[in-house]
This record gives sequence, C-alpha cells and structure tokens, in this order.
Amino acid sequence: MSPVSSSRSARPGPASSGPKTPGRRPWLTPGSKQTAFAWAILLPALLILAIFRFLPMLEAFYLSFTDYDLISPPRWVGLQNFIDLTQDPLFLKSVQVSLIYVSCSVIPVIPLSLGLAILFNRALLARNFLRSAIFMPVVMPAVVMAVVWTFMYQQDGVMNTILGWVGIDPVPWLRSSSTALWSVIMIGIWRAVPYYMVIFLAGLQAIPRDYYDAAKIDGAGSWATFRYITLPLLKPTMLLVVVMNVIVAMKVFAVPMIMTGGGPGDATRVLPLFIYQTAFEFFDMGKASAMSVVMFAILMAFAFIQVRLFTRKEEQ
Amino acid sequence: MPSDVSAPVSNGKPGRLRRLIAARAEGEALRKGNLLVLAVLLLVAVVALLPFYWMLSSSLRMPDQMFANPVQWIPNPINWASYPEAWGAQNFGRYFFNSSVVAVLITLGNLLFCSLAAYSLTKFRFRGRHLSFMLILSTMMLPLEITMVPLFLIVNSFGWTNSYQGLVVPFLVEGFGVFLMRQYMLSIPTDVIEAARIDGASELRIFWMIVMPLCKPALVALAIFTFREAWDLYIWPLVIITDDALRTLPLGISLFMSGYGTAWDQVMAIAVLGTLPMALLFFFLQRAFIQGIAGTGLK
Repeated sequence: MSPVSSSRSARPGPASSGPKTPGRRPWLTPGSKQTAFAWAILLPALLILAIFRFLPMLEAFYLSFTDYDLISPPRWVGLQNFIDLTQDPLFLKSVQVSLIYVSCSVIPVIPLSLGLAILFNRALLARNFLRSAIFMPVVMPAVVMAVVWTFMYQQDGVMNTILGWVGIDPVPWLRSSSTALWSVIMIGIWRAVPYYMVIFLAGLQAIPRDYYDAAKIDGAGSWATFRYITLPLLKPTMLLVVVMNVIVAMKVFAVPMIMTGGGPGDATRVLPLFIYQTAFEFFDMGKASAMSVVMFAILMAFAFIQVRLFTRKEEQ
Repeated sequence: MPSDVSAPVSNGKPGRLRRLIAARAEGEALRKGNLLVLAVLLLVAVVALLPFYWMLSSSLRMPDQMFANPVQWIPNPINWASYPEAWGAQNFGRYFFNSSVVAVLITLGNLLFCSLAAYSLTKFRFRGRHLSFMLILSTMMLPLEITMVPLFLIVNSFGWTNSYQGLVVPFLVEGFGVFLMRQYMLSIPTDVIEAARIDGASELRIFWMIVMPLCKPALVALAIFTFREAWDLYIWPLVIITDDALRTLPLGISLFMSGYGTAWDQVMAIAVLGTLPMALLFFFLQRAFIQGIAGTGLK
C-alpha cells in the first residue's frame, strides 16, 4: 500500500463506510475532473428524487396546514386539519384498520417465511421444484390477485366449498364487516410469505456451514443451534424483512380498493385508501395531506421502534 | 459487507454435495424427518398454487357451471370463448402495450440512473457524497401513497396527466435501486478501474465497458425487481390517467371487473392473460428471478 492511500484510509469520517479490505484501495485517485464526473453521473438520480420525492413531501407538509380544493388557491388554516382529524371518527377508524392490517400481516409472516426457509435450507427431494411452486404467488400481479381472490371468496365460491369438506359453515368473507379485513389480510400474507421466504433463505445460506458443524460437535440440539447460531446471525436479514414488510403493509391499496372499496361500511378502509378518496373523490387536498403527514409519522414511529428493538437485543 | 448477489440462493455444488452426504450419513431418522418436511412443503405448495389453478380452470368453465355443486374441478366442456370475448370487451391490446412500455422504460431508467449514482457514490470521493447517499436512502421511507397528493399537483403543473411521461418519469430512480447497486459495486476492485484509466480510457467508457459488465448479477436482480413493481403500479395510473388509450393493464383489469363482475369466466380469462407476462418471465428466468428477489434482501 502506498503511504498516501494508507493515511487516507486512516482518516475518520465518511471513508469508514467503504470496504476495508487491506491491500485494496476503496477510492479512485481523486482529481477535479473526476469529481466533476462523479457529480455529473450522480445528478440525474438526485434531480429526479428531489423533484418527485422530496419536493412532494415538503409540499405535503405545507398543504397539511391549508384548505385546498384544487379550484381556489390554498388557504392557510394552521393546525385546523389536524384538529379536525383527531375528531373525525372515520379517520380514527381508518388508522385503526391500517394498524391492525400492518400488525396482523407482519407478525405471522415472519415465523411463516422463516420456517419455510429453514425447511428449504437442506437437501430435499424436488427442492427446486417445490421452491418455485411456493414462490408463484410473488409472480401474480396485485390486481390479478385481488380479482381472483374476490372470485374465490364468493358465497358459493371455492373457499367455502373447501371449508365445507371439513365441516365448517360457509363464511361471508368480504361481505361481512367482521370478516372482510381478515380476508384481505390473509391474501396479503399469501403473497408476502414466499417473498420473504426467499430473502430468509438467502440469509440462511450466507451463514457459514462451519458454525453448525462446530455446534454439532459441542452437542447442541436443533433448538439451541437455532436459538444461538441461526437467529443471531440472521438478525440483519430479520430487521430488513420487518422494515420492508411494514412499509409494504402500510401502503397496501390496490387489494382493498378492488376487493371491497374500503367496505363493508369502513371495515377495510386502510389509510392510503382514505387518503385517495379524500383527495380525488372529495378534492379535500389539505385534509388528505394532513393524513399523509400522519401516515408518514406512523411509518417513522414504526422504523424507530424496530431499530430500537433490534439494537437493544444486541446489547444483551 | 460486500456480498455477491448471485451467491445466496444458488445451489453451490460443494455445499449441496456436502449436505447430501451429511443427510445420507444420518440415515433413517433424517429420512423420516425429510418425508414429513416434504409433506408440509407439498401442502404449502397446494395453497400457493390453488388460486392459479382456480383462475385457469374457471376461465375455461362454462358460465352456468361456475358455482356448480359438486365443484367442477376440470372444466367440461371447455369454454374457450371466454378469452376472445373478454379480450374484445375492452381495449386490452392497448392496455398491454401501455403497461409494457411503462414497465420497460422504468426498468431501463433504474438500471442506468441507479448504476450511475451508485458508481459515483462508491468509487469517487467528494464533498457531499455521504449526505447525497443518506438523502437517496431516505426516499425509501417516502412511499408514493404518502406523497401522491402533491406529486399529482406537480405532475399536473407539468401538464403530464394523461401522458407516458407522467407514468414513467417519477419512477425512473428508486432509492432502493441505488442502495442495491452500491452494495454490489463495493465489491468491485478499484484497481481494475484505475488500470483502465492509466490505459487512457475515458471515465464514461470505463463505466460502460468495465463497471457495468462486472455488475451483471446485480443488474439482473434490479431489473427483475423493478419490472415486477412497475408492472404492478396501480394507484398512480389511477390518479393521473383518465384517457382510455393510456390506461395500463391493472387499471383495465379492475375496470373490467367492476363492469363485468358477474361474467366470471371472462374476468378469470383476463386475469390469466394479465399474469402471463410475469409467469413467462419467471418460467424462463427462474433462478435469476428468485435470486433477484433474494438479492434485494442483502445488507
């Protein structure tokens, strides 16, 4: 290593995020021409994200303090939209529906997808065929899934036929406000489990075999191996899966929109659906923006809790 | 950690062999365990595939036997007419074309812009690099569902409602794509690039001829991930498209369902056709497809 690059890698700060393989220089030799090039190729991405992500987010914050119906210009109303929201039973119900949707789809998906990944992480007859078969729901477009499951959930549909085989009375699925949300959650799980199974499987296969061999020599049982080797080493994957899953569940829209339109009553009106209706059916952009800000806050809170949960475990 | 996107799900020969040998050695007990595992996985596979089978068989069933009791698992007689009837009921050829254009353009845009940005962030040192990366990453916390109201106002002010630009441009870069490409590029040796430089290759040429080919596994992963998401886009076209000639397939399907909801054979026929592109992609690129999704989970 040249003295120049070694002194550079010793410097603290941003450089530490690069790979630290000894003998391999992480950075190209800097020069003003190179820096100009670096900015030039970074700019398209930054520009597009600035215009279509950051600008809208800032504008959402601004609009949430206004009354705006698309016709007359936005009128500043201060916190009025947020005050209204706290007293709006439809909004509170929508938040509740979204929170139920997120927690009840994320919590079962983790053990189910991890369990399947563990079952697949071994020599097995027809392993690739089974994996591909179980992966298929990921391939089905969301809108198609909504349409097909609406059909299967019909009163005389195939789901009730199958329940009949085991002696269960027909379930009203999407037609009753007490079962509609669960029906929607179930198919969300149906499509999410294979997706995260594959991610967990990748995480499992990245764990060096030697760890398991060593555990076996030490006489560790399969539970102990799972608890003290697999689980800790899988923690980064686990965090990623939970974070991704929460975001995906929080923004679910197409499925409830197509299957129930938010009903019956308001049983499946998740937050994005309510935002959409407020903005594009009632043209209340200010209120819709205030809801968006609340949704953003909920996502942030989830992210904060997740990171805290996972780092605290690490300290033990 | 720089890790190889292609590594995880692949059945690396040595590992597989070792595991097979280990399985043999453990003898009867394990084989019995494996049989149980096999039974569980078969059951899960049935649950995963049932809606596919039901969609296909229902599209071919006669309408008057749709809810027949006992259930008609194999359609008899076969009702091929549902396909041309459904296809002709709406402008589905056009919707397919629109969805393909939009999904392909969004995918190409992400491959190019995410790679460029990731290359800049991994191999060059300049002020603001770290901040830029953090900003790009933070967009992963800003899903469309949160920003759609102002985004609609912005796109509307460009005059882009009812246009391909409006459907494509906002999604040409995804923070997640930059992240994915960056993780992969960290593992590309800088010496190779430096050597090309000494040989007098231009910066753009180095990127195009050396960096991009080295990133092929990550590019495949990103392409599959992005295409799937773009093919699925629903809420955004619903917001900005009212012109029938610009509707995408998901819009067409949901519209058809609300209009022809009781003609289940036709609705299922359209559902089959709407699944076909992704299913074919999966069929021919099975390993790449699964690795693509798995690759998105790499830290």
